Amino acid sequence: MREAHRARVLDFLRTIQKPDRPLEAVAESDSLVEAGLIDSLALLEIVAFLEEQYRIDFAETGLEPDQLTSVSGILDLIEREARA
Amino acid sequence: MTRAVAARTARWTRRGLRPGDRVFLHSGNRLEFFAELLALWRLGACAVPLDPRLTRVELERLVEAASPRFSVVDDSVEVASALPASVAVVGADEADGTGDLPPDLAEPGADALILFTSGSSGRPKGVVHTHASLRARWAALRHHLGLAAYARTLCLLPTHFGHGLICNSLFPWLAGQDLFITPPFRPDLLARLGALIDEHHITFLSSVPAVWRLALKVAKPPRRAPLERVHCGSAPLPATLWDGIRGWSGTKEVFNTYGLTETGSWVAGTSGGPFTPADGLIGAPWGATIRVRRAADADGLAALGGAECAPGETGHVWLETPALMRGYLGRDDLTRRVLVDGHFATGDLGTLDERGWLHLRGRERDEINKGGMKIAPAEVDAAAEGCPGVAEVCAFAVDDPLYGQNVGLAVTMGQEGDEAVGDLYRWMRERLAETKLPARWWRVDAMPRSDRGKVSRDAVREACAARPPLDLTRILQGR
Repeated sequence: MREAHRARVLDFLRTIQKPDRPLEAVAESDSLVEAGLIDSLALLEIVAFLEEQYRIDFAETGLEPDQLTSVSGILDLIEREARA
Repeated sequence: MTRAVAARTARWTRRGLRPGDRVFLHSGNRLEFFAELLALWRLGACAVPLDPRLTRVELERLVEAASPRFSVVDDSVEVASALPASVAVVGADEADGTGDLPPDLAEPGADALILFTSGSSGRPKGVVHTHASLRARWAALRHHLGLAAYARTLCLLPTHFGHGLICNSLFPWLAGQDLFITPPFRPDLLARLGALIDEHHITFLSSVPAVWRLALKVAKPPRRAPLERVHCGSAPLPATLWDGIRGWSGTKEVFNTYGLTETGSWVAGTSGGPFTPADGLIGAPWGATIRVRRAADADGLAALGGAECAPGETGHVWLETPALMRGYLGRDDLTRRVLVDGHFATGDLGTLDERGWLHLRGRERDEINKGGMKIAPAEVDAAAEGCPGVAEVCAFAVDDPLYGQNVGLAVTMGQEGDEAVGDLYRWMRERLAETKLPARWWRVDAMPRSDRGKVSRDAVREACAARPPLDLTRILQGR
């Protein structure tokens, strides 16, 4: 299941990433902002994606700063929310 | 802070700084920046805070426009290497002097601060404020807003930006209030904004709508005590977002503030009594007279006179304030167009209601407002000039869910294929800060033109909106 989520998340990140940075070159645990792949405010687009696609309610759960900064952080969050 | 300022005045005296010298400051949003600013002012010099993300080409243009004598850099070798030999580089940490503060050499009418904004001709446009105009802004804010709500102020905005520097930071801090400052636009900090407010007992903060869109989604509200007051400005604040900020912050005193770099930022807001958030509502003037005229600029004023619109009638917003800039640096042509006998043509459209409150209805000048950062489309166009294979480009505003607006670009090219688009992207990337680079690109056969043969940005925008933009990621990565 994690593989399916990963493919979906990566497809989404390709739609918001800076166009000249290869997503594949960023390690799964790297910060997407620090790697220069996305703008810091693009976090809002990741939040909107997770709310819409995975029904995660951040107003309810709050957000830990590191949760959405890396691909692995996003996948962990999706899996945690699926179990809750 | 007094010691930090004294150490820097000693260093500047040693380096031969003279009153009137211009000094570039490349990194803000930290204590050392404010110490540097006060030291320069104490010695009668003029500070030029810069966006640290500028490209080498942009920096070279600013050097040409401002002729700085010194440049204060941290450990950024790249910045130092881009500066010509005429600019002496001073290390930000090179401040080991001791002793008392020297006498204050700042003359009220002398230049104190230059803030560069995006130039409509593609050339840098430096807004020059004197000590007198800045002090007039702070005095007006203190008179209209008091200080109590600003006792513990948080600044999340960049300090090379009038809103962040002059109003959010210097207004409360120089009046003796506590200032807490963070690096700008850091998502990890925004995610814990409520906790940050609790931890430091923050009473006030200002920001831009794009930051609030994110904070309301990801940050839990403060728990200990509500904020006393919030300002939001630099971009249109939709009523729904306004209500959301009120709910999150726990205060009704969420003021939509209006201001331009030319007026020392905040010049009006919803401070004059109860109000219901509404799209475009600004409120009462703070140390300014607001007039809504039929004339759009100096030429219009000469032709139409000072005729004012009736309450409720939309016209051009003009401001008179002692906090007005001295002018645009070295650009008397631009200054004369917007400044007539102390009357400033803002370029905004609006109405005054029966109470004298301002409501904004739009902007008449070409400008892209990306989350509060104003970008002149002509500056984006100019960055493409000279790129081989490019016939014509036209930048324009596109709607953006995150920033409100973003930069779109239409391009006509002499050759087929994706390679030419990739070459143009890389060409522009070297000449334009990343934040100003077009987010969406279209390739068109010909630019729509007006009857007079001029490219019409509105018509280009409409033509592009009808079809999907290029997949730039695929083009640049050769997939």
